[in-house]
Amino acid sequence: MPIFNDTEHFYSVLVPFFNMLKDDPGIGPKIFSSGLVVQFIYSDPQAIITIDCPNKVIIQGEIDLKPTVSMSMSAKTAHKFWLGKLSIVIALTKREVIAKGPLPALMKLLPLIKDSYGMYAEYLKKIGMEDKITNWD
Amino acid sequence: MALPEYFQFQDRTKVIYGQGTLSSVGEEAKLAGGAKALIVTDKIISKLGYAETVANSLRDAGIEVVMTYDDVPQDSSATMIQTLYEDVKKLGGADICVAIGGGSVLDTTKMVNLLLSEGGDLLDDHQGAYLQEKPLNPMVAIPTTAGTGSEVTFAAVIKDTEQHQKISFISPFFAPNTAILDPDVTLSMPPGITAGTGMDALTHAIEALHSATSEPVSDALALGAIRMINEFLPVAVKDGKNVEARGQMLIASTIAGIAFTNSMVGVVHAIAHSIGGIAGVPHGLANSLMLPWCMEFNLEYCTDKYAQSAYAMGVIPTGDPAADAETGIAKVRELISKTGLPTRLRDVGVTEEQFEDIAMTTMGDGSLFTNPRTVEDHIEIIELLKKAF
Ligand SMILES: [Fe+2]
Repeated sequence: MPIFNDTEHFYSVLVPFFNMLKDDPGIGPKIFSSGLVVQFIYSDPQAIITIDCPNKVIIQGEIDLKPTVSMSMSAKTAHKFWLGKLSIVIALTKREVIAKGPLPALMKLLPLIKDSYGMYAEYLKKIGMEDKITNWD
Repeated sequence: MALPEYFQFQDRTKVIYGQGTLSSVGEEAKLAGGAKALIVTDKIISKLGYAETVANSLRDAGIEVVMTYDDVPQDSSATMIQTLYEDVKKLGGADICVAIGGGSVLDTTKMVNLLLSEGGDLLDDHQGAYLQEKPLNPMVAIPTTAGTGSEVTFAAVIKDTEQHQKISFISPFFAPNTAILDPDVTLSMPPGITAGTGMDALTHAIEALHSATSEPVSDALALGAIRMINEFLPVAVKDGKNVEARGQMLIASTIAGIAFTNSMVGVVHAIAHSIGGIAGVPHGLANSLMLPWCMEFNLEYCTDKYAQSAYAMGVIPTGDPAADAETGIAKVRELISKTGLPTRLRDVGVTEEQFEDIAMTTMGDGSLFTNPRTVEDHIEIIELLKKAF
């Protein structure tokens, strides 16, 4: 069983999660204060989610806006990433994650994202995807 | 020592060592495959006549020299690199780059070579990590300092003049095809630069060793480099004409380069990049100023590694690795004092007012990711800066 059945399923899991991060008083404001447009480009299934910090919105799908930084990865890698099960350095050298754009900006965001690892697992439990917390291979 | 669950190691560069090997650059360039060369260097190296030797050797091998650019500054900017690329393009382009100089010359050349191979805008199209998908045009590197290891590394660090920040570009495809290590071209390096660049090499080796992504291959290389640097850096500083010491340092620096480009560096480099960008302190000196303090900061998280480093520096094992690791840090301080380098940030023009800025910039440096101890916030960096002040 794949983690995500198709693009629609992926969006239905990840977009609410991104919005949860956005609305978290400890994480949202810190992310938005970076002023970045961060785009996540996913494959298998294909999907795009953009955090538009200047406008404080999460956008699903293609956009005209040019992102400051983009991170491309498979949906499975994304899942491992949000669970905190991915060594970002090794993933970059293996090209499992391709980061494009000024890295210092991204580096400052990653510690914030770290705080959200636990939240993703909790969230999966809440939406009935508990089995996917450990079983993603 | 526990094995990592997974690692990869690669070295893409043919390394040649020997007195007088500079004049083999033409042959080597031909082997690497190129017909139209861009030579990149700086004013000092050009004045010493080395760029001319390179040009002649290339012509003798039937390679056209499109341009010799000899104006690389201490820290190249993206604008300068983009302009150089456009200028070479107007002359019909170049299909091989030859760099002779220190780290800045080599890093600049890597980025010009990237643009000559792939086109585009350096900042808009090429910023990121491991973006490059295929080999670039060949490049030959001849280091004239013994420290940066840039002749074998996958990275190029340039200055973002607007942000006062160093920006790193990284891909295995940026590593030169050939590195020519000719000790003769390092003989005229002044003691201060010999010491600073040598301490950069030591920092590469120690950070490769303590890195969170260290692995057995780079560990072995790092330890070998530490042994050589400990023995020969003081000699090279004191007696610049000592070919043996110069040769050992060149080789040690290359070895340390291969080690750290695989296993990465840590908090010392993260801070040194920021001190360089904000206070203009040369890279090797900045590393040297921070190294012992950062080792103390990391000590509990990589005791065994620091003990091994201590043994490589001649410390006799006492059976207590933690104590030996501490002795090793004292050994590093002893080596720094032998080089005569300043040991306080205040002595190199860094001010306390700059601490906040340096610490915040450090938090955005990718090197922090592989430090053995997680840096929780910028306050920890400020504490380290205070100690080194
Ligand atoms: Fe360095």
